[in-house]
Formats: sequence, structure tokens, C-alpha cells
Amino acid sequence: MKNKLRYLTEVSLKRKIKTKWFLVANALLALAVICVLNIDSIITFFGGDFNEKTKIYIIDNTDYDFKDVFSNQLTVLDQSVNGEESESYEFILTDKSEAEITKTIEDDENNALLMVINENQETVIGIKVVSESFIDTIQYQLMSTAINNSKTSIALATTNVSEEELNRLYSTVTIDRVVLDEDKNSEDENMEMIMTTVFPMVILPFFMLTIFLVQMIGAEINDEKTTRGMEIIISNVSPKTHLLSKILSGNVFVLLQGGLLILYFGLGLGIRFLMSSGDIASGLGSSVMDIVNQVLATGLSDKLIYVIPLTLILMIITFVAYSLLAGILASMTTNAEDFGQLQTPIMLISLAGYYLSMMAGLFKGALFIRILSYVPLISAILSPSLLVLGQIGIIDVIISIIIVIGFNYLLIKYGLKIYKIGILNYSSKDLWKKMFKAIKEK
Amino acid sequence: MLKLENVTKYYGDFLAVDNLSFEVKPGEIFGLLGVNGAGKTTTFRMIMGLLDPTSGVITLDGKNIDYDVTDNIGFLTEERSLLVKLTVKEQCLYYGNLKGMSERKILERMDYLLDRFGISDYKDKKIKELSKGNQQKIQFITAIINEPKLLILDEPFSGLDPFNTELFKDMIVEMSNNGSMIIFSSHRMEHVELFCKKLVIILRGKSVLEGELKEIKEKYQKKNIFIAGDITKEQLEKITGVYQVVERASDFEVKINDSSIVPNVFQEIKNNVITKFVVEEPTLNEIFVAKVGESFEK
Repeated sequence: MKNKLRYLTEVSLKRKIKTKWFLVANALLALAVICVLNIDSIITFFGGDFNEKTKIYIIDNTDYDFKDVFSNQLTVLDQSVNGEESESYEFILTDKSEAEITKTIEDDENNALLMVINENQETVIGIKVVSESFIDTIQYQLMSTAINNSKTSIALATTNVSEEELNRLYSTVTIDRVVLDEDKNSEDENMEMIMTTVFPMVILPFFMLTIFLVQMIGAEINDEKTTRGMEIIISNVSPKTHLLSKILSGNVFVLLQGGLLILYFGLGLGIRFLMSSGDIASGLGSSVMDIVNQVLATGLSDKLIYVIPLTLILMIITFVAYSLLAGILASMTTNAEDFGQLQTPIMLISLAGYYLSMMAGLFKGALFIRILSYVPLISAILSPSLLVLGQIGIIDVIISIIIVIGFNYLLIKYGLKIYKIGILNYSSKDLWKKMFKAIKEK
Repeated sequence: MLKLENVTKYYGDFLAVDNLSFEVKPGEIFGLLGVNGAGKTTTFRMIMGLLDPTSGVITLDGKNIDYDVTDNIGFLTEERSLLVKLTVKEQCLYYGNLKGMSERKILERMDYLLDRFGISDYKDKKIKELSKGNQQKIQFITAIINEPKLLILDEPFSGLDPFNTELFKDMIVEMSNNGSMIIFSSHRMEHVELFCKKLVIILRGKSVLEGELKEIKEKYQKKNIFIAGDITKEQLEKITGVYQVVERASDFEVKINDSSIVPNVFQEIKNNVITKFVVEEPTLNEIFVAKVGESFEK
């Protein structure tokens, strides 16, 4: 006696994997992931003057020796943003006229700037900056801060403040934080900020795979049904076996695709490792590494011991829930267009979970979001987010898992009745009536 | 033997099949006839185990229909039931495996049948690339790949040219001779008449006529006389007992209420020059139309 469930599952899985489109899609996906992880090397490979300094011509019409103070200030600010090695600016104190330098910028040195410093009775100094085009926002803010700091520095120097006092005035102010909630600490505060941006990116693959799963299962059932092949299939296996085979193959496929994504990520990092002589972190950018370091500093690694297994369990049973829902809805449709319309609400539910997880950090303690974190289909994304943010505990996630299991049980109990009727129904007339009637049948 | 005993099926309040009973013995080709919506598809679905009867019993060789039993049934649906994205080979393997066959056996049988229907070259072609007639051949092949004990054929000749229709006919007759039970449904009565020794006509789910085709025809009172000669339609229409005269290319088809009218007709035209005078049983089509008409009137 053949195991028809196993056969149907294998056939369904082979149909998904043994296609040229699966190979093409994965080749593109691998390429995209590897390229993104090595984007700096790729950009460098194609060449360009990445070390070109911005020339700043300075015409100083004051007696304050502004150029030296300003160049020190801007260099310090530049290095605090772009790394200690950064040397983005070249400062040139010039005796040439404003018109001459302006012409030079206009004709030859489009990237250069001219700063004309004049004395001003109201603001001590006045600055005029000439550039060929707009100055980017970060550069402008750095220059503005450096100018104001220079002015303060000069002012302090001219009022005979001692060097010791000057150093004290420039030293960083220490802020002693006192948080009255004993359960909170500064690490949690950092984590809230970081997880608002990091966690949604981590769960993006889950969101993508969910959409993939729903479309795949629905399309396959819809295809078999609309070609009437379903009548032959269902006369040889029970609707339960048929649906189960689709769910199994769909979920195995999704897990396989998820595994491949991790593999591509590993490959990307491996290539990065080889290209940067053993230093994966190099070139990732100080901002990315800062986030990684801050995430590690929050003690998240300790939390991951229970966050990862709970999240995985919740995600897998939620995948099953989405599969069941997609299969049941597909059985009710009579053509591909109908299923296209029916899957839209499922996508919206998943999308809602994704956005809510991003908003969770912004609306700390929001009761509405907390309640939604127990709702099946949404909970797989939202519940782990809230857990990482410290807004809910492990018990809440376990409750979410139990609710999803219950939800799946109800989908199997009542959904199978709909499925059995739906797959042999070819008319959209009184569709909902037929489905509710199917649920009531013993 | 396939046995339907007092089978009734309700969809909610709608009665789809009403107390239907019939038997199909090994080697028999049985006609299940009815107008659209008569309940044929529901009956087929119950035999295939796709639907449970509301009441009554369906058995094949004494066993209730379950998934082991359906492994021995072949079903050719009226609409295409092929997965058009698959190749012919994949399709045969898919349906054959669902019937519990081994892959070796499926491939052996597929090669034999593809060869027999003259489409061996299409084994690795996708079904959507085939013509309508060839798709019908593949559908037929997948229905008989398991050498079924019971074969259900719903409009099997749809989309076939006369040559391929003959190929199908030969195969059906051969399977019947080998002991398969065949249920045949078609709106083409000449096909039914060609194959089926027994039949049932259903209307609104209820049997309105059943039995051996020969007996049905004999019992049916009305006859047809085909007459050719120097005679007019008006002359024939005046004869008592004649209820319709159809003028054809080379003769007249005279429809009479029963065989006792035949001598009257002969008497009335014997003085004319008659080149043809043939009394025939009515066609199944006529019986079908008459029976369905009567039932509608009731």
C-alpha cells in the first residue's frame, strides 16, 4: 500500500523546486544578498576618487586667527562622524580676492568652498560661504557647528580665561541617570531605540516567506481545482490528506528557502571575510558596527537563548496557520482571479503585524499593541518584538503560542469541512452560505 | 459488480438523486443517461466516493466505496481533468501513483497505451501543448492506466475526430470483453446505442426508464416506417395512426403509434409505385426525448 500523503507531498515539493524559475529566483536572490553585503567592495572595484578632500579656501578679514581654530574644530567633528582616520577637508588660508577664488570654484574646482570671514558688530564675526552647488546637509551642519564652536573658543580665549578653566569648560558633561523603575536600566533604553529599527529588518524574511507560502499553496490548490483534476485526486485520497500534503510541502519549501537565505548571507560574509583579509567588520561602516556593538552591549545575547526558540516555534506554527487559511480559502475559489482577491486580506493581516512591530518601540506600553500581540497570524511578528523590547514576558509569548495552536486546531476542525465542500464546488453562487452550511455539518 | 441500492442525495433541501437503483455486472457497458442537471454527475461523484449518499448503499464487489476501492475505478470526467502544466509522463505517473500503482507498472502501461493511441512522441510534451483531441486521449489513458474494474466515462468522445472515436470504441469494447464494468454517459445517443445493452434514463434525479436496451425498444410501442416511391407527404399524413411524417432526401420517415398500424399504412399506399418499405424500431434518441418529454409533462 503506497503512502499517498508522502507521495503527494514529494510531488508537490518537486513541482516547486524542480523548476527553472526556482533556480533563477535563487540565483538572483543569492547574488542580491552577496552584493548587498559586499556593496562597498563593489563600489570601490569600479573605481572613483573616494579620498578626494573638500578644499575650503578661507579669506580671514578679522584679527582672530579664525582659520586655525575653525580647521581644528571641523577636523574633530569630521572624525567623530566618519572615523578617527578621516581627513575629509583641506583648509587653505588665501590672500587672493573673493572674486578670484569664486572664479576658480566656478571654473576648475567645483567641489571646493570659499569661506569669507568678516568682523561683525552684532555677532562678532560674519561668515559668507560660496559653493558651486548645494552643500549636503551633514557637511553643512558640521561646518555650522565648527563655526559656532570656533567663535566661542575665540571669545573665551580673548577674555583671559586660564587654560585650565578652558579645558574644564570644554570637557564632556557627565549625566548621572536615575531611573525609578527597578526593572529598567540604561541598556533597555538603548535596546528600545535600536530594536525599533533592527528587529523589523530581522523579521522581514518571515514576512516575505509568509507571502510566498500563501501564494504558493493557494495557487497550487486553485490550479488543481480549476482544471478539475481535483475530482480525480480527491477520489483517491481524502481531502484531509490532500490539504495536509500541500501544507507540508509548502512549509518544507519555506523552511528550505529560509535556510538558503541564511546560506547566501553566510556566503556573502565569507566573501567579505576573504576580500578584507580576515576582517568581516571592515567596511561595514561605523554606524552599522555601532548598532551591532550597541545591540551586543544591551545584553541581547543573553535573551536570545529563549527569544530564538520561542520565536521559531511561534513562526513555524504561524506558517501552518497561514497555510491552512490559504488552503481553505483557495478551495472556495473558482478561478485564479478569485484567489488573488481572497489572499489580499491575508497579506494585510501580515503587513499589519509587520508595521505594528516597528511601531511597538514608539508606543511603549500601548495596550492595543499588547492585545494584538496575542492575535494569531500577527503574534509571530509582534510578540517576539515586544519580548525583545521588554514590554511583555516569556509567559505572554507562551500564551501566544497556545492561542495559535488553538487557532490551528479550529482551522483544521472547521476548515476541513469547508475544504471538503469547497474543492468540489465550481459555482460562486451562494458561496458563503455553502461554507457556513459546511461548518454546521456533523 | 457495482450495485446502487435506493441511493438518494440531498443538497440541503434540493433533491439531486431520488431513490436510484441499478447494477452493473462485469463485462457490461451500462448507459446512464439524462438531460443536463438530471443528477448524473452527482451519481458519478457518489460512485467515486467524492460525495456520501444521504441514504442508500453503493458497493463495488460487495465492498462499500472507500479509498482502497477507488484504486480500482477509472473516471473520465466530462470536463478536462488534466494538470496542463505537467508533461504526459508526469501526468500518468501522478494519477497512476494515486491509484496505488508502482512506477514501473505505470510506465509500462503508459508506453503501451500511448503507442496504441499513436501518441508515443508526446510522452515528454506538456499537456497544454497538445491539441484538444490529444488531450482527450491522455485523459482517457489516465482513466484506464490502472486497468480498472469499473470505468466511468462521461462524454468520452468529446473533441475526437471519427478516426480517434473508433480507437476509443475499440478500447472500450476490449475492456468490456476483459471483464471491466463500464458506465457510459453521453448526449450522443447513437454512441450509447452502439455500446450499451443496459441503461437507465434519469430525470430530476429519478429513474424514468431502465432495463435492457432491446427490451426497452421492443416495449416502446411507436415504430418508424421508411417509405420511398411516387407518394406525397400529405397522402401519408392522412393515414390513421400516423402521427408524424418527416420528409428526407430519398424517402419519408413515417412515425406510427404502434406496430398494428403497419398493415393500414401498407394498404393505403400499395397502389403506388413503392421502392422501399422498411419498418424499424425507434432510435434511442426518440425514446429518450419521448420519455423526458412525458416526465416533464407530468
